[in-house]
Formats: sequence, structure tokens, C-alpha cells
Amino acid sequence: MLLINILFGLVVGFIFGFILTKTGVTKYPRVMGMLLLKDFKILKFMLTAVTSSMILFYLLGDFGLLKVVPKNLDWGKLVGGLIFGTGMGILGYCPGTMAARIGEGKKDSILALFGTAIGILIYALTIKPVKSLFLSGEINGDISILLGINRWFVIIPAAVIFISIIYFVNKKFDDNKKIF
Amino acid sequence: MKVDNSKEWHWFTGGILVSLLSVATYFIFAAIADRNYPFGITAGFGYIAAFFGNMFGGLSENPVIKRFGEKPDAFIEFFILIGLIAGGYTASKISGTLSPENIPAVWEKYHGKSLVKRYVFVLIGSVLLGYGAALAGGCTTGNILQGWAHLSLGSIVAGISFFAAGIITAKILYPKLGGNDASN
Repeated sequence: MLLINILFGLVVGFIFGFILTKTGVTKYPRVMGMLLLKDFKILKFMLTAVTSSMILFYLLGDFGLLKVVPKNLDWGKLVGGLIFGTGMGILGYCPGTMAARIGEGKKDSILALFGTAIGILIYALTIKPVKSLFLSGEINGDISILLGINRWFVIIPAAVIFISIIYFVNKKFDDNKKIF
Repeated sequence: MKVDNSKEWHWFTGGILVSLLSVATYFIFAAIADRNYPFGITAGFGYIAAFFGNMFGGLSENPVIKRFGEKPDAFIEFFILIGLIAGGYTASKISGTLSPENIPAVWEKYHGKSLVKRYVFVLIGSVLLGYGAALAGGCTTGNILQGWAHLSLGSIVAGISFFAAGIITAKILYPKLGGNDASN
């Protein structure tokens, strides 16, 4: 079991890293270009992945082949999200692309790896107040249960929104325009 | 500054491949570990944090350290992290884009060559990244690529917060590129 877990992690990570680097989403100018609302290749990549996997997940779920468990909502999602976003803006990459960048030879990402671990250590040290402030009072994360409707009434509109955003930014912005 | 993007895959190719990887991972996990597992990266960093916390900090009783140190997810995600490094290396080697650099070229152009300055920013940025990911229960992978695909309310809030704060931070770091002025 231990060996399977290690092998499984390595293979998933390898494929994921290969795709990230090969698609160019690990590039600093691409990430900053997206956050500056000028280069939307990463957004198109992410929303394509999200739309495709959303439909696959729920289709397979309907066939009883897997069970989707949406993440609950608490204040940590908002506050943690804002802290994470600030860090991503300063760095120009996120944890997954950081690791792939280390493989590409980008040295500042090695420092970032330790910084990220330190951030989690600080989180561990502050867990007591954080827990009572932000992590109590969860709301169920399943939108279709919250609204009391069939999940396809959520999935299809979400897919339409995602595809519309992809279509709009693809028409309006060139992936290879000079930004910096 | 022009970046050579000629060897990149199309965003659609990359997106579809990631979605297949996500679903396959979830599926295989349910089979071998008998659990629902949307793969993420954050717990891999948590595993490293737990290692140091146990080694030097005597934090073995801390609930966060305990969770990251003992949960099989974190162990697997640590190896996902290693796999990511190998995948990034291989892809860049194959496409000839393997480019050792100390500082991103765009950063250097706008914020100078100082290694110390960039590394101070990297340290601050990455500590925030780690703290935020732990508090939000996942990073871009866990909360957007997986969480949005599951239509998780929590992940939708987290993902929008990532972008909101990221957009503001980027504007502060690169104010001259803001607005409609694309001439530079």
C-alpha cells in the first residue's frame, strides 16, 4: 500500500507537471498577465479543465461510478482565499506551478517551496484562534442541495457561463500579445 | 518583452488533459484507497511543514501538524509534489525551454536585478500562499481545478477570492500596465 501510494503520487504529479509546463501556464508573464487582465490563456486552460471535468464527474456520478463531495463554505475560504491570492500576486505562481517551475530550473521557486511550508507551520501555530474565528459554522457546499433542485440545473448553467467566458476572452484577447 | 511561446500546447489541449487526469485520479483513488479524493497540492506542502514541525518545533500534538503528518493524503501529495518537479523538468527539457534563472525576466525589467529584493518578496509571498492555502482548504488545484468542477460553494468563494486579491496585488506591483493602456 505504501509503495502504491508513492508510485501513484509520483505518476499523477509527473503527468500534471508535464501538462502545466507544456501548456505554458507556469510562466511568470502568463500568470501576471492574467492577474493584470491582459493574457487569458491560463483562465481559458483552467475553465476548459473545470467544465470538462465537471461534466465527467457528474456523469460518472449519475452512473454510480463515483461520488462527488463538494467542499463546505466557511469564512476560512474567503479570508484564506484573499491571503492566498495576495501571495500568488507577489510570487507570480501558485503551489502546483511552483513545483513544476523548480523542475524548469527557476531558482526562486525553491525558496518559495520552503516559504509555503513555513506558511503552513504558522497556520498550525495559530490554529486555535483561527478555528474559532473562521472555521466554525460551516455551510453545506452542495449548491443543488442548498437550492433544492436537480444538480443538472446547476451544472448546465455553470457550463454555459464557463464556456461563455472562454469564448469572450478568446475573441477579445490575443494570447501572444506583448504585455510587459 | 517578448516571450517565446511557440512550443506551448494549446490551452484547450492542456485543459482537456488536466480534466482527464482529475477524473482518472479520483476514480483510481476510490478504487485503491476506497475514498473520494480530489487531488491537491497543499497537503504535500503540509507534509513538509509537519516534518519540520515534528523535527524542530516539538509540535507533534498540534492538530494541523498531526493531520498533515499522519493523513495518507498528505503523504501522497508530497509525492505528487516530487512528481510535479520531475514533470516540469522533463517537459521543459523536451521542448528546449529548460532555463535556469534566478529572477523572472519580467520582474527584473520592472523591479531591478536585486536578488535580495526579489527573494524577500518571494519569501513573503510564499508564506502568505501557504497560510492562505491551509486556511482556504486548498490551492488553485484543489479549490479551482477540482473544487469548481465539483461546484463546491466553498471552492467558488475561495477561487474568486484568489483572483480578487491577486488582481489587486498585480496592479500594485505593475501599476503602469493598468487601465486600457496596452502600448507598452
